[in-house]
Amino acid sequence: MIGRPGSTVWLLGHELRLAWRGWGRRRGRFRNPVFGLILSIAFPILMTLGVGVPAGLALRGMEIAPSPVLSAMAALAVAGLFTLMLSQTLASAVDALYERGDLDLLFSSPLTPRAVMTVRFLAVAANVFWVFGYFIAGPIAMIALLGHPAWLAALVVLFAVALAAAGAGLLLAAALFRVLGPKRTRTFAQVLAALIGAAFFLVAQARNILGRGGSQTAWEQVMRLARDPHVQVPGLDWPLRAALGQPLPLLVAVALGAGVFWIANLILGPRFAADASAAAGAGRGVIRARGPAGPFAEGAFASTLRKELRLLARDPALITQVLLRVLYILPVGFLLLRRAGEGQALLLPGGAAGLALLAGQVAGSLAWITVSAEDAPDLIASAPASISLVRRGKMAAASLPLAVLLAPFVLPLLVLAPRVGVAAVVGCAATTTATCLINIWWQRPAKRSDFRTRHRASWFVTWTEFTISLLLSGATGLFAAGFFWWALLPAVVAALALLALRRSDEKIAQALRAAS
Amino acid sequence: MTDALALAGLTKTFGAKTAVDNLTLGVRAGELYALLGPNGAGKTTTLRMVAGLLKPDAGAISVFGTDALADSAAAKRLIAWAPDEPMLYDRLNPLEYLEFVAGLWGVDAKTARAKAEELLKWLGLWENRAERCEGFSRGMKQKTALAGALIHDPRLLILDEPLTGLDAAVSRQVKDLLQQRVRDGATVILTTHILEVAERMADRIGIIQSGRLVAEGTLDELRARTGEAGGTLEDIFLELTAPEDAAA
Repeated sequence: MIGRPGSTVWLLGHELRLAWRGWGRRRGRFRNPVFGLILSIAFPILMTLGVGVPAGLALRGMEIAPSPVLSAMAALAVAGLFTLMLSQTLASAVDALYERGDLDLLFSSPLTPRAVMTVRFLAVAANVFWVFGYFIAGPIAMIALLGHPAWLAALVVLFAVALAAAGAGLLLAAALFRVLGPKRTRTFAQVLAALIGAAFFLVAQARNILGRGGSQTAWEQVMRLARDPHVQVPGLDWPLRAALGQPLPLLVAVALGAGVFWIANLILGPRFAADASAAAGAGRGVIRARGPAGPFAEGAFASTLRKELRLLARDPALITQVLLRVLYILPVGFLLLRRAGEGQALLLPGGAAGLALLAGQVAGSLAWITVSAEDAPDLIASAPASISLVRRGKMAAASLPLAVLLAPFVLPLLVLAPRVGVAAVVGCAATTTATCLINIWWQRPAKRSDFRTRHRASWFVTWTEFTISLLLSGATGLFAAGFFWWALLPAVVAALALLALRRSDEKIAQALRAAS
Repeated sequence: MTDALALAGLTKTFGAKTAVDNLTLGVRAGELYALLGPNGAGKTTTLRMVAGLLKPDAGAISVFGTDALADSAAAKRLIAWAPDEPMLYDRLNPLEYLEFVAGLWGVDAKTARAKAEELLKWLGLWENRAERCEGFSRGMKQKTALAGALIHDPRLLILDEPLTGLDAAVSRQVKDLLQQRVRDGATVILTTHILEVAERMADRIGIIQSGRLVAEGTLDELRARTGEAGGTLEDIFLELTAPEDAAA
């Protein structure tokens, strides 16, 4: 390993080695590790050949002048990147506080806390750079190779943004720690990180949600402002100039990124170590949970339903992740209601179909939590209760929150456009039931904390869930548009696919035993 | 009198490894039976098969005369299974946990509520009834899981390493509780690596190794079998489970 043992460089080498092995472990999830490696390399190669080569050839010999529109686009892209990176670094910073891992070992060694934290912070920045660099490094390198070598500066800008986001994320985490204390910071930061990640989508969809009269989307308004010679935003073209390799803007970008990171490191270095100790000492503490004040639930179905709803309601981080999907329902729902109100019947079927598709996706997430992420599967397996009754309780728990969420959109729709309303109700119910059943038949024991990576555990379930939801949402759209017989075609295909996927209780039990 | 548990020719293999090998044993109703064995001997696998969590490859399991393989629900109604790692939900409080377990075992809601209160008071958890289990110590979690195991008044209580990680006070409380259950007529089967506990509490002891029963009986019967008059259970256990080359 590089560097003198105990030096900062040596420690950085250690972090990079761990990161490399972590990546290797993810590759190892594939049955054939060579296949995993090929798949990991294939994507950047495809990006390089599919995007980088055509773009490089098209831009060859072309002088790129930083026009107002291009500058605005670049500035928005950098702002977007920073926001997305911030959501990731905030989550990483909180993990660094609570998921102590090797921090105890490092802090008990003769290494200074500052060196330990500098390296840990750098690792956060490098990780977030890698996530985005993985997608864009190939195309940029190709464009540079085909005639614009200065464009390699875009990667330097990307790293500068990653450094700034890491610094800002760490400062934000530390500030939350001060204000909220160790017990609440984690949950709040996880929720905040998820919301920041979704912020751009919400901004872009503000018109659909708020229903402003103007016809311009946020993007179009920015573009209009960019073209307006009377509106000059000083420095708006600097991100583009930096990415194109102009020395002064590039230097400023690097100085800004490194500066934010350095300030965060300077302020937080030793303090972060103390916060980490405080977080460990705080533990979970006593958390009161009201109920059941009244009578107990009667029977396996009612008690399972009640238990699952309680567990869902008490996991804010998980709920946030699920609700992020719901965020995508909101614009569709609002759009649908407004069109119905305005009598624009042509757009309604598409909206109903979209609602059904998204309902299926959210129901799939909730069903995964209630079914696969069961905390005590042995308790249920050792009980005399009918397993189908328990499963029905879990399905009901996955469907109820969704029904509550969809009701404000679907119920008025039943009045404003009855056929579309009925289609939406039936479609949402069908996709919800289908995805719940798939999650029951193809369940795989997992932890709730694996929610974000659940798709990696079973691509099969992910794709079948999506494909069947897509077919059913197609049927919903056709039904809403009045093509009743045509609607039968995708509905029957979906039903047949669902029948083919069905597994007996015995087979489910066998699969669970094999997986555990 | 019908045995509380009767295993006949029970066999379970995992790939090439035979975890339980043609095991036959009987546990009498109303006794505290200690199932001992070195790590990997097949104790937990045996008990998981009895609890209905694993399907044996061969053999029969009878719980108070009920064929547990043919009518698993009927057998499960009589059994409570408490593994070494408590089967709890971190985000539920003890009362909510007991409500769920009672629902699974079909205990009438009113009876369950009263029983839950009685158990939590008895185990010293009543003051913590509104606190989520995630903040509980190991001992409190173990006691909550025990309350869950007892909420439906099982006739056969199966505990896998119930004293692991408990401090002296909680350990004593659990031991007292188990003896009380036996006095009340229930049957208790437990596994433990703490041989003194088995020596002092068990009516009969079964020792298994490599999935086979190597000895069974009261402490005196085991002493007589090994010729260790006045020997401790530890001496007997080590002699019976010593590798063949070492014993020679």
